Amino acid sequence: MGRKLLLEKAHVPGIRSYEVYRREGGYASVEKALKTMSPEAIVEEVKKSGLRGRGGAGFPAGMKWSFIAKPEGVPRHLVCNADESEPGTFKDRYLMEFIPHLLIEGLIVASYALGSHATYIYIRGEYAWIPDILEQAINEAKANGFLGKNILGTGFDCEIYVHRGAGAYICGEETALIESLEGKRGNPRIKPPFPAIKGAWGRPTVVNNVETLASVVPIINIGGDEYSSIGVGKSTGTKLISACGNINKPGVYEIDMTISVEEFLYSDEYCGGIPNGKKLKACIPGGSSVPILPANLLLKTAKGETRYMNYESLSDGGFATGSMMGSGGFIVLDEDQCIVRNTYSLARFYRHESCGQCSPCREGTGWMEKLLYRLEKGEGKTSDIDLLWDIQSKIEGNTICPLGDAAAWPVAAAIRHFRDEFEWHVTHAAEAQTRNFGLAHYADPIHVPTV
Amino acid sequence: MVQFSEEKLAKVKELIERYPEGKQKSALLPLLHLAQDSFGGWLSSDTMDYVASLLSIEPIEVYEVATFYSMYNTKPIGKYMFEVCQTGPCMLNGSDNIIEYISKTLGIKPGETTSDGLFTLKTVECLGACGYAPLMQLGKHYREHLTKEKVDEIIAECRNTAAANN
Repeated sequence: MGRKLLLEKAHVPGIRSYEVYRREGGYASVEKALKTMSPEAIVEEVKKSGLRGRGGAGFPAGMKWSFIAKPEGVPRHLVCNADESEPGTFKDRYLMEFIPHLLIEGLIVASYALGSHATYIYIRGEYAWIPDILEQAINEAKANGFLGKNILGTGFDCEIYVHRGAGAYICGEETALIESLEGKRGNPRIKPPFPAIKGAWGRPTVVNNVETLASVVPIINIGGDEYSSIGVGKSTGTKLISACGNINKPGVYEIDMTISVEEFLYSDEYCGGIPNGKKLKACIPGGSSVPILPANLLLKTAKGETRYMNYESLSDGGFATGSMMGSGGFIVLDEDQCIVRNTYSLARFYRHESCGQCSPCREGTGWMEKLLYRLEKGEGKTSDIDLLWDIQSKIEGNTICPLGDAAAWPVAAAIRHFRDEFEWHVTHAAEAQTRNFGLAHYADPIHVPTV
Repeated sequence: MVQFSEEKLAKVKELIERYPEGKQKSALLPLLHLAQDSFGGWLSSDTMDYVASLLSIEPIEVYEVATFYSMYNTKPIGKYMFEVCQTGPCMLNGSDNIIEYISKTLGIKPGETTSDGLFTLKTVECLGACGYAPLMQLGKHYREHLTKEKVDEIIAECRNTAAANN
């Protein structure tokens, strides 16, 4: 059982309320930070912790904070990215719904560190019941002197506002999120200027994921050094993983990043293995955008070493034989799943979510969806597979924001690892409508879990 | 001509005050949610023009936003909208069967409304609850771990609520 820093208290009855949260030691980090630390010292502590952005990109959070510009007389803003929309990812929802004060606490400390007197939580519109939970937590924090004017008598003023989106995956991209916060369409901006220089309303702005900001609480409480001693290498601290697909125990798990993928997938403490005695076919380990891995490459790297649930190990082998930690959305496919169908479903998602600003993404995502639909329905040609490869390669790297890459990678990885399944959909078109391709050699030798 | 109640106008004022002075357009998304909830579950051009006037912005600025985000309905919808997620993880857990079952039971295709105006079926992309798949959004909340039996129960529940309110 690994150490828990975020969800340790999530199951305490009544933890959603201020009284219980406070009794369990909540808001200690605000007292420590505001009363005994300078904003610069907090940024240093977060740098020391090695905390990497938990939204998907994994950029060091302390470094991001240190980039914020501080022009005289210009307000700065912290914006919490709660637009959780990456298929397979539902960890931030869990955190906000069950232990909302942890996020509010992290936001107060981070607002102080960055000098934000008006901080915004941008939450996806579909999570329609969560703003009420967050606003109640905000009101309780305010009633107890942790928000509002002159917090704890330190002279620091801060308000937190919840801003609800309205259904757009693209608003998880930080510049699109800022556009949306300003009441516009979620079209990403060209960088530079980066938000840290010119963000919301042209002011210096830091955008961080929910889990990243919640992690600031344990960092201040235990110190950056101790936080960085948890985990391995550049994967420090704990990470929330949302596990779904064909597993016995879907849900949100907090892991320290030293456990193997095999343990995470098969042990009863986490996913509990695959239902109905089915075998593992493939897995998308970090949210729908990251490359899918066949069973044999998920559990072991190409070099035959054990693969672990951390940033370095999941990306071992690059895109040729590895994947990414991404947002921690762990999607498992059993032997009955069809790779072509799964890839089509994801391609449809990206076509729907493309903002339409850049032509490679706007046109390319639609084209890929149509080709995959054709292949899935048994009406494809072998040349369609090459065409798909060609299209994805021309989207990647040619768009303003990473949505283009996010749409290209799943298609590329599916063809890279499962090309024979795509070809079978062409050569055995009628049969492909009646049964799945099965495991083939992807899980060869058939893996027998040892945990 | 649409008009918010006094109580809702106070809410509008509070929403606008959350953003820096002169940046009242930032309240557009929250105001459109409020308007949609207040005026029949969708945004008519009258409603959008009214929101524009409240924020002192051009109507086109409202139209371009309302048509960008998938949660704003620019056409009337049924009293109950089943928004069923169909993306990857939900698909792995049988969302296609659920969509087909709802479609057959209500006699409507995705995007359509029943002739009695009670139900709209809509397929949506990832709702961010993949561990509880298959699922749908119904109003403010999610209905998770859907089965055919659960769908039947939800339909009956909606019919009963609608009948009780008539």
